[in-house]
Amino acid sequence: MRLCIKLGRRLWVPAILLTVVCGPGGWAQSQSPPAASAQAAPAPKLDAPVTVGEASPPSAEELAKGDPGGSMTGTVNDIAVADAKKGLTLGDAVNQIGQNKVAINFVWTLIAGFLVMFMQAGFALVETGLCRAKNANHTMMMNFMVYGFGLFAYWVCGFAVQMGGVGAMANLGGTAPLSSEFTVNFLGKTWGLFGTHGFFLTQGGTYDVGVMVLFLFQMVFMDTAATIVTGSCAERWKFAAFAISSVFLAAITYPLFANWAWGGGWLSQLGANFGLGHGYCDFAGSGVVHAVGGLTALAVAMIIGPRLGKYSRDGSPNAIPGHDIVLVLAGCFILAFGWFGFNPGSTLGASGNGALRIGSIAVNTMLAGSTGSFGALIYMWIRYGKPDASMSGNGLLAGLVAITAPSGFVNTIGAAIIGLVAGVLVCLSVEFFDRVARVDDPVGAISVHGINGLWGVISVGLFADGSSNYGGAWNGVSGSVRGLFYGDPGQLIAQLIGVVTLLGFVFSLSYVFNLFVDFAVGQRVSAESELEGLDIPEMGALGYPEFVLKVHRDQALIGGIGVAVKAST
Amino acid sequence: MKIMGLLAAVLGWLIPVAGLAWTTSSAARLTLCLVGLGMCSVGILGFLNGAHLKHALWKR
Repeated sequence: MRLCIKLGRRLWVPAILLTVVCGPGGWAQSQSPPAASAQAAPAPKLDAPVTVGEASPPSAEELAKGDPGGSMTGTVNDIAVADAKKGLTLGDAVNQIGQNKVAINFVWTLIAGFLVMFMQAGFALVETGLCRAKNANHTMMMNFMVYGFGLFAYWVCGFAVQMGGVGAMANLGGTAPLSSEFTVNFLGKTWGLFGTHGFFLTQGGTYDVGVMVLFLFQMVFMDTAATIVTGSCAERWKFAAFAISSVFLAAITYPLFANWAWGGGWLSQLGANFGLGHGYCDFAGSGVVHAVGGLTALAVAMIIGPRLGKYSRDGSPNAIPGHDIVLVLAGCFILAFGWFGFNPGSTLGASGNGALRIGSIAVNTMLAGSTGSFGALIYMWIRYGKPDASMSGNGLLAGLVAITAPSGFVNTIGAAIIGLVAGVLVCLSVEFFDRVARVDDPVGAISVHGINGLWGVISVGLFADGSSNYGGAWNGVSGSVRGLFYGDPGQLIAQLIGVVTLLGFVFSLSYVFNLFVDFAVGQRVSAESELEGLDIPEMGALGYPEFVLKVHRDQALIGGIGVAVKAST
Repeated sequence: MKIMGLLAAVLGWLIPVAGLAWTTSSAARLTLCLVGLGMCSVGILGFLNGAHLKHALWKR
């Protein structure tokens, strides 16, 4: 009995404590409403008017005093109102957000396109500087007029073939009229071949603000491809043949391959159709632009033959130096500047869908160009004992060409390696084409753009690191692009399919067409014209009219420096 | 020789593409791609360029 009383007393304290702790909690639990039964507030209606005053916009009197700090500029008063009687609504504000996103992307894409257009000046300076003075006018004119010829052909049909079926591009507000792609069914899959909307930029409803932005951006890329060919065929290419060849490249060759890669065509669908990574990936055009241009340059250079005096009777090459290295390196800087539009601009936007990666892409571009010039410089210094200016410039360009395809998919380490390899590769390639293949290329266009364009395509399949995110998918396959070194061999296979397509289709088409032009019109100028210099025979005017040598006093001046050289030899 | 070169280049393109339907093995597809690359190179730089070098300007 006494034990029970003792235990009972000892249990009082824990009992009281338990009551104090658990009692109120249990009471509180019984009082709180269950979460599931809470009702969400109804969504506001978009046509409901908004009280503008709550945003504290500046008054007219305040604005009349000026706004040096900018704090009163850009307010709720600047939102476009759909119905003046109703006033500002939530729908107006939401529409403004959407329009702002598209406007940012429009401005970014257009400015990037303007930078790429300026690269034409860079190409013109590089090529003219690497050619002899007697051909300066002709070389400059080819680079100048390729803009006009290419633009015309691309407006008439090239853009329609390339982008006619690309579909809606969210960054540019939809581009809905670009919705017609010619396809075939083969091997159980649908293969996109070419677009059919957009001829003259009016057919098929393509008179559209988003389509105009896309046209400008794509056109300047096409023109880069077209101008590459003028370099390898300089100093002996007939101006008429150049014009015909350029129109064909702008209207047919380039748009076909570009459709397959960028326009929703079969190359881009290799991932969706055959499980090869994300299909052929070419962020800004190592393959589409540079390899197409470089391989077309190879085709025409083979047909046209080498310059007189380039090879001796035993086939050994002779150096024919350019006349102005200042032009060459200044041109390289202009190209490097323009490449900031080429690569980062290929996001087609600076707002939404991973577009904020533009800084990474720009840095990758800079790095690869730099390591490209290092690679070429060091190679030439070791091999020939001196750092070579023109090859250093070509090394910079090779690095930029090679990074063009992978720029949106790799990290800075990958970019630096890609550029370094490109710098050495361009030197080896120039030597190969000069001494082994004996294809005369005055500016190294085949090596810079053709060979390094192919290297750029392959490097996507090796170095893409899987960290990019452009709206959660690429070419219709979800996830990020990843190369062999990051676990996806299928991506490398897709890139190699692109490489063999460039070699087997693009080169062959260019070769056959230009062979036809050679038969019909003749690609090459006469030997007399070539020796005299193309400025007078082809263009009717000298590039440097004051720099003319008079060999004999009693001879009338009939030509430029070429005539003097011919007379003295 | 020029026709042989063009044919080799075009076949070098078509064989890897057709191979996508013949096999799903990555190793086999990669091999076909490398074979195609080789055929294209031989066609362009071997046969085609060789045909041009036969009648090269500096030999006349």
